[in-house]
Amino acid sequence: MGADEPPRVVELPLSKVRARTRRDFLYLSAGALVAAGGFWWLLPDETRQHHLTPAMRDWLDSLEARLGADHARRETFLNRVLTFDDDVAEALYSPTRSVRTYTKSQITPLKNSYNGATPKPDYLPSWSLTLSGLASGRVERFTITNLLGRFARHDQVTRLCCVEGWSAIAWWGGLRFADLLRAHPPASGARWAKLGSLVNLDAAGGPDPYYVSIDLPTARHSQTLLATHLSGETLPVEHGAPLRLLAPMKLELKNIKAITSIAYSVEEPADYWNERGYSRYDGL
Amino acid sequence: MEEKPIATRRVVIKHHALVRLAHWANVPLLLGLITSGLSIYWASPVHEHARNPVTGSTDYVADAGVGISRALPGNVADPAAWVYDRFGLGTFRLAPALRLHWLFAYLFMAVGLLYALGLALGCGYKALLPRRSDPADALAMVRYYLGVVPAKLLRRPWPHPPVRSKYNALQRSAYLAVPLLGLLAVASGWAMHKPVQLEWLGRLFVDYEGARIVHFWTLVAVAAFVIPHVVLVIADGWDTFRSMVTGSSYRLGERHGRG
Repeated sequence: MGADEPPRVVELPLSKVRARTRRDFLYLSAGALVAAGGFWWLLPDETRQHHLTPAMRDWLDSLEARLGADHARRETFLNRVLTFDDDVAEALYSPTRSVRTYTKSQITPLKNSYNGATPKPDYLPSWSLTLSGLASGRVERFTITNLLGRFARHDQVTRLCCVEGWSAIAWWGGLRFADLLRAHPPASGARWAKLGSLVNLDAAGGPDPYYVSIDLPTARHSQTLLATHLSGETLPVEHGAPLRLLAPMKLELKNIKAITSIAYSVEEPADYWNERGYSRYDGL
Repeated sequence: MEEKPIATRRVVIKHHALVRLAHWANVPLLLGLITSGLSIYWASPVHEHARNPVTGSTDYVADAGVGISRALPGNVADPAAWVYDRFGLGTFRLAPALRLHWLFAYLFMAVGLLYALGLALGCGYKALLPRRSDPADALAMVRYYLGVVPAKLLRRPWPHPPVRSKYNALQRSAYLAVPLLGLLAVASGWAMHKPVQLEWLGRLFVDYEGARIVHFWTLVAVAAFVIPHVVLVIADGWDTFRSMVTGSSYRLGERHGRG
């Protein structure tokens, strides 16, 4: 054995050793109690139902209520964690950083990510895009032919990442959101866009309007497309025909399919998945 | 025992207060990261097989739950969710699991910094640095552990290999590997969480999918460390446990704690 450090031996009054030991074990016990209580407090209600006995759960619930650590406070606290993580994501965002592009040989299968039923193609003939919140004060309406005729098409092969963890590399084509913003500038002070789809359905096939909030710096990114094509062909219904958002620097759930409206606003608009417990910035 | 005016005790200083704080804080944090992580894993398993025509499963972890449920007495309500319900927050809990995972992850990183600071202030890092003699000593330790139970049964003497430093070679490699594993978990986690803005980090893991695979296996590796770690501390006794609470050991001889 080579360079061995000698053990650092110190001689201390026994009373001091005992007092320190007592103090440190008290700290450990207090810490264990706080950690166990805090851990239980943070657990989702559905998870709690799987653990302990009903009597113990009731006892812990009333203890929590007495300490003021109730359900509402937990939600506020955990939503603040989400906001904090979103703020970190926003701080990391750079408008000039480009998303990694791939070659067409690296394309992977892209699954149908409609959360509910896939809409029937019946909506396509009457589809139009409504644009509001403009500097002109007007409400513009476009058919897909208008859009394809007026704006240049850009193609990119990028990865789309879902909040669930899967991802897919696909070849997208469409107009740049930035070009639409330049042609129809938003009202002054606007910082957000609300993209909506009236086509979206719930699992039972009933109407379930979908809406996402997109910050304008993301919308202006050169790789943020209003996609009309996938693999060089017209966007299929299961991927959001005739127009979907393709913002590869955002989670897939922000990449709304079958967009029917874009509205610019000063205040941050509502977001479908944020209302269901997910974060709202979702920057990758 | 000679008479002294004040009773004193000679102790060996082992762990800096910040190292101890970080050690114990990691117990609930790792529990939180692993349980929420499993519920996130459920939403899109990293390792999938072709769809089983009978169960419809593509997930090895769900299959393990089905297998365990079958071996257990009584009826399990949802066998495919067995692992996720017991070691995770359950199935269909992606949104709450993500929130908790971010909370525990930020705390884990903060605690990691405290640990690094404690290692530097208490000079504990010196005991973790690999030595030339480690491979041979590690083999001697493996031989010792393999023989300790048979030797006990045969009532044969089975001396512990000499250890003249704070840790034996096996401990040293494990206690160096675990913080590095934590670093790897944090790096692969960020690579998955911000694959666009932190693309340079993602390239360390080849791509997004690589980071997902590494992140999942850090969980397995941490679990593989924790189990023998706890068993060995229990086997080694009270002094080792106490030294991680109070920072000092009463063992003055050449053999230091294990675990």
